[in-house]
Amino acid sequence: MTPHFGLAEFGFLLRGLQWTVLLTLVAFAGGCTAGLAVALLRTCGHKGVEWITRIYIGIFQGTPLLLQLFVVYYGLALTGLKLDAFVAVAIGFTVNASAFLGEIWRGAIQAVPRGQTEAAMALGLHYSSRMRDIVLPQAIRISLPATIGYLVQLIKGTSLAAIVGFIELARAGQIVSNQTFQPLLVFGVVGAMYFILCWPLSWWGSRMEARLALASQR
Amino acid sequence: MQDNILIEMKGVQKWYGGYQALRDVDLTVRRGEKIVLCGPSGSGKSTLIRCINRLEPIQQGSIVMNGHRLDDSVKAIDVVRQDVGMVFQSFNLFPHMTVLQNCMLAPIRARRIGKTEAEAIARKYLERVRIGDQAEKYPAQLSGGQQQRVAIARALCMQPKVMLFDEPTSALDPEMVKEVLDTMIGLANDGMTMICVTHEMGFARQVADRVIFMAEGQIIEEGAPEAFFRNPQHARTRQFLGEILAHH
Repeated sequence: MTPHFGLAEFGFLLRGLQWTVLLTLVAFAGGCTAGLAVALLRTCGHKGVEWITRIYIGIFQGTPLLLQLFVVYYGLALTGLKLDAFVAVAIGFTVNASAFLGEIWRGAIQAVPRGQTEAAMALGLHYSSRMRDIVLPQAIRISLPATIGYLVQLIKGTSLAAIVGFIELARAGQIVSNQTFQPLLVFGVVGAMYFILCWPLSWWGSRMEARLALASQR
Repeated sequence: MQDNILIEMKGVQKWYGGYQALRDVDLTVRRGEKIVLCGPSGSGKSTLIRCINRLEPIQQGSIVMNGHRLDDSVKAIDVVRQDVGMVFQSFNLFPHMTVLQNCMLAPIRARRIGKTEAEAIARKYLERVRIGDQAEKYPAQLSGGQQQRVAIARALCMQPKVMLFDEPTSALDPEMVKEVLDTMIGLANDGMTMICVTHEMGFARQVADRVIFMAEGQIIEEGAPEAFFRNPQHARTRQFLGEILAHH
């Protein structure tokens, strides 16, 4: 007998949602940390280092995320490193996010007026203080709309993790739909769950953007 | 006599790629001396003062500041930047910090002094530029003239031996020029060594010990303001003064 979409099925979707949120958080936290390093190296002023990071960014922006997940999950397994599905996709998403966030923040760092750095240098501030106290606080503000936009993309993008057998929200929806034969209802609920996660973020992002535009008019 | 010399530039050459911005510049600045640098745009006057605190590297020649030779080492650059204050045309205050924080940051980070002492120093200099009551505000809440006075206070908080001014009044509305010039005159009267890139010839007459005219990366002519303005030697200087005085 075919089960109907009920509380148990809804609970299954909620667990999928949990994994989606967890994967997003891990990838975003990891991507932020590594992305900051990428952005700093990309703007460090050393030609060789800047080129290497440019190539790094180019590779991860220029190949499909799906392919990158395959490489981490199956490719590393071939070398004898058998990773748990969650660990594998977390690594894949982190590395991918570091390239995208790194590039967003590279732009933001370069968007901070040159005079800010010059004033800091003239005051005798070293690189670490110039970045921490002067450039990054302003760059983060500038990059906030794009960063939030990327976070929204990341939440939805985690559905690709299903490809290596990781059961997150989209995959959970597929399973429930196959069991209940109620695809419209099931995917409607799944879509609503994504929407509830993403829409407030998008709204916050565009509000930030509007406030930023206003601030730069002054 | 040697102790009296604060800055000594000898044979300084500076290129931007194939473009030569400074040609064989010699300049000696005595302690307490006030120098006004003028010249047409692109003449190298801003570049010259930016070389003194190593915002721009030089390709040839030497710069000695307070007995320390300025080379490419981090240590030498540190030493010179702690001794040299700079005020920019576009203020360059840190917009995400209050006026007080703007003034406290460098003493805490570069001079490594405590917060309480840094705040005391900051408030002292903010009072001195008559803006003490605005300490808690953000730069965007102040007028251009007020912002530039904060920038002067911020530089003074590092207790520099010399102040460099890079066209400090050029970005200001006319009615705010005076308050900034008055602050600079006050500073000059207190004995601060100053090098000012400016077209404010009234200021030059009033405070400068020496006026230097530059064109095409070279020092063309220099002299005490009276002689410099009354009887310029070079045709290039006369032409420049004619243009600038006709304008003012």
